[in-house]
Amino acid sequence: MTHRFSARQTLAHLLLILGAVIVLLPFYVMISTSFKSPAEIATGTGGVFGSQALFTDQSCTNLGGTEADCLVRPVIDNYSQAFTKAPLWRYLLNGVIVTASIFALQTLIAVPAAYALAKLKFWGRDAALGLVLFCLLIPVHAIALPIYLMLAKLGLTNSYAALIAPWVVSAFGIFLMRQFFMTVPDDLIDAASMDGMGEFAIIWRVMLPTAIPALLAFAIFSVVAHWNDYFWPRIVITGDRSLFTPPLGLREFKGDLGGDFYGPMMATATIIAVPLVVAFLLAQRRFIDGITLSGMK
Amino acid sequence: MCDALTLSSAASKPQKIARPERRQARAGMALFAPALILLVVILIFPVTVAALLSFTDYTLGRPGISWVGLRNYVDIFSGSSYRKMIVATVLYVLIVVPVSVFLGLGAALLIRSLKVGQSFYKTVYFLPVMASLLAMAIVWEFALHPTLGIVNRTLAMGCGTPVEWWSWFAHGCTEGFPLWLGDRDYALYTLAFIGIWQSFGFNMVLYLAGLTSVPSDLYGAASMDGVKRGWERFRLVTWPMLGPTTVFVVTITTIRSFQVFDTVEALTHGGPAKSTYVMIYAIYQKGIAQNLVGLGAALTVLFLALVMLINVAQRRFIERKVHYQ
Amino acid sequence: MKHPFTLCAMVLATVVATQAQAVEIQVGYAYSATFDPTFERMMQGFSKAHPDIQVTFRATYENYEDATNTVLREAVANTLPDVSFQALNRQALLVERGIAKPLDPYIAREADFETDGYHKAMLDLSTFDGAIYGLPFSVSTPISFYNMDILRAAGVETLPSTWDEVIAACNRIKVNTDKEPLYWEWNISGNWLLQAAMWSQGVPMIKDGKLNMDNPEGLKALETAKAIFQDCGMKNVVGGDAAKSLAAGDLAMFFSSTAYVGFVDRSKIGDWEFVTAPYPGINGAPQALPAGGNSSMLTSGSDDPEVLEAAWQFIKFATSGEGAAAVALTTGYVPPNKVANALLMEDFYTKNANKLTAVNQLPLLSEWFAYPGDNGLAVTQVIEDHLESIFVGDAHNMEELRDDLVEEVNALLPR
Repeated sequence: MTHRFSARQTLAHLLLILGAVIVLLPFYVMISTSFKSPAEIATGTGGVFGSQALFTDQSCTNLGGTEADCLVRPVIDNYSQAFTKAPLWRYLLNGVIVTASIFALQTLIAVPAAYALAKLKFWGRDAALGLVLFCLLIPVHAIALPIYLMLAKLGLTNSYAALIAPWVVSAFGIFLMRQFFMTVPDDLIDAASMDGMGEFAIIWRVMLPTAIPALLAFAIFSVVAHWNDYFWPRIVITGDRSLFTPPLGLREFKGDLGGDFYGPMMATATIIAVPLVVAFLLAQRRFIDGITLSGMK
Repeated sequence: MCDALTLSSAASKPQKIARPERRQARAGMALFAPALILLVVILIFPVTVAALLSFTDYTLGRPGISWVGLRNYVDIFSGSSYRKMIVATVLYVLIVVPVSVFLGLGAALLIRSLKVGQSFYKTVYFLPVMASLLAMAIVWEFALHPTLGIVNRTLAMGCGTPVEWWSWFAHGCTEGFPLWLGDRDYALYTLAFIGIWQSFGFNMVLYLAGLTSVPSDLYGAASMDGVKRGWERFRLVTWPMLGPTTVFVVTITTIRSFQVFDTVEALTHGGPAKSTYVMIYAIYQKGIAQNLVGLGAALTVLFLALVMLINVAQRRFIERKVHYQ
Repeated sequence: MKHPFTLCAMVLATVVATQAQAVEIQVGYAYSATFDPTFERMMQGFSKAHPDIQVTFRATYENYEDATNTVLREAVANTLPDVSFQALNRQALLVERGIAKPLDPYIAREADFETDGYHKAMLDLSTFDGAIYGLPFSVSTPISFYNMDILRAAGVETLPSTWDEVIAACNRIKVNTDKEPLYWEWNISGNWLLQAAMWSQGVPMIKDGKLNMDNPEGLKALETAKAIFQDCGMKNVVGGDAAKSLAAGDLAMFFSSTAYVGFVDRSKIGDWEFVTAPYPGINGAPQALPAGGNSSMLTSGSDDPEVLEAAWQFIKFATSGEGAAAVALTTGYVPPNKVANALLMEDFYTKNANKLTAVNQLPLLSEWFAYPGDNGLAVTQVIEDHLESIFVGDAHNMEELRDDLVEEVNALLPR
């Protein structure tokens, strides 16, 4: 590999770096805020990492501590509050349970359906595809209340079931997998069929292995969406907060007019973003190949 | 119509005897059945309930419910805000979709052309897709604070420099830079910017995937035919080959932009002067926050009608383009 | 938690069943960051006073809107908490829907109810159709926040007591300093400060179930709003952003709820002098002001008299004596209870004079109106939209605007 100077390459890098600066700006604000004291945050001072001067933690004095007891370093205070005010480990665990269950069930439902839509001729197939596409358009906010009422009738509110059940079928997942399966040559299926494989075996033993990259792509989209979902959990989890998912940890620092506690809130936001970023870095290569919808080799 | 969405160029061949039609029909229905049942129970049934509720005055916690006919719809169209609602929704989509598709494609092409640093940029540009929108909305609120936010502070550093020849900038220096979220001339564009920021990385990844599937011998063939310049190559080879990806990207981006909600709720609450009163927010505000379930349901029905209309129109349009090549 | 993975409802059921000797009650409140310390502090005393009552706090409501909507949903699912803290202006809705239970039977059994510091003005805030449905817990009144350094630099010697004086001060600030002159949080809770403009003239916003603004006072209230917006060049930012500017020393005058005191104290940068003062009136000092904040309501779905009694004990503890004092000690709010405030008067309020302004205004405390009927919340939105049209410069003729507003609101109210 020779890295000769090239005006074109330099220009591309310049453009991309400019874009990266704009893209990263909010992340910079988020992380920088998680290092600062309340006064530095509210007034936008303190530079990148804050001055880290000791300050009096108000939530500590509110409980009757003296000023001397309550002197803390901003960064330590913010991150320790993120874990102590809210059972954040618990929320992260819940996040894993909920997103993993949702994704597993979505896969179980979507893969056979997508296969049927892509590779099998059956009565009403076009209508079925139309239905999937229509479902893609339905916004969750519009149907939240009827679904809540259904769950309430079943006595399922405030449960893992309420967090998971409404998402077990993903129109997006069916659509994405169908698009992928369309690119799998029919010969492959026919050969498997002639070997005496049933449709079920074909799906899980022939189609799915070829579709792992696409499935990985769907996994990232599904996990990102449900890991970060704030709207639905707060509708159905009204009682026991040990069922909260990670973003609801942010709520712990919501005040009314007395102001939100932004430092710990941003610390929480940073913490809950880390698992996703790590997962993305690990999956990156296969993931991008995965959405190569027509990229069969 | 759905065939246009086939992202594959591999046309399906005639079925062989190996898989008789009867067996396919049975298997197809059986395999789709679980999804069908769940789609109906989880999505179609609630939408139907919403459609029925739109003709009632239902509200949570009150036992009675009465049929009010079309009154909810009449209320929407006789109110002053429905026009602003449609304008805000459509304008947002019209800005976000083209820009984020274009930026996604641009970023993908630039990144593909790099010799070093590809995965760095990929990761950076994909970060916003992974971030929790709620946390990010709070961050944007900080960044956009009229005087203390990093955006206006950075702009203010340009005061007294030659940038001031730009009259907009000079005005900002004397009168203060815009209230990005508090001025109705800016608020929707600010939200659109955040929407683009959040979604173009997603499109970039889809395009990167699409680009890897363009067979390299096509470029060779093109160059033999005398197509050497970058732009010509893009126009004649890359772009047509990206057709199926573009269909997918545009479809998904459009649907997502129509459903914009989190930033509106966190940052503007539909204001100022209803300039960011997008439909999903209206549905939420009426149906959930104000507990006028019937009215919210009527808005839902209108929303679905509008989105379907646009979706069908869009697909017709793209279908023609994609079939063309 | 013994069974972390069991469904929550089951866990709760088993906990209740297995702990026969201790009564368990469930309590819901809004705004974690503000009220968590209050309840933590209060529970120190409560568990000593009532060791037999086990209080379980539910997931906090995100805000007051969420508080009401959550309880409404829980009513359908039959999972109501025993005690719920709800915004004063949302009480009427829960009463109307039959979710809140009247407290009169419990009050009747209390021998020293009045000597515990409860008084009529306080109880009036939660009285509907002659019955008491809640006990106000933390209340706020609108007050004024000033940056004395900016006022002095502008040559403003005395603190304004009317809006005319505020606007005069504003003009001096504009001329003499480069700071932002004022922010009036016109849209807080939709129309709270418009109600303040009406009450300060001694006129209630609602009368006989109709919007009571088709009178000279209504016009005057809108004219005052217009003067604040336009004669003073107020910026259209959200209240939170304005509070940040105040904390940073960039804003001279800020008018909103006393609840902001906590934020400014915590976030203040620089050594400028921060002072709170009574809310400005229209033609003289205000005659009355709307109360903000929340009250504790009995929302239990239980028939068990023990649970109900325990819930009542909690409500009473939270709104009187040291329980109520915790409100002032931990937040910018004040407890409406007289005895609780007397407990704090000597030591706490002398050290925290900025919190005393709201206490001094307690005699003015009047109803924060909720609009009756299903459209109640939509009405608030209509009023906010009309106010905004003045702000953004769409409305010029206040008389037309008022007539339009009265007509539109009354059309939404029940006939």
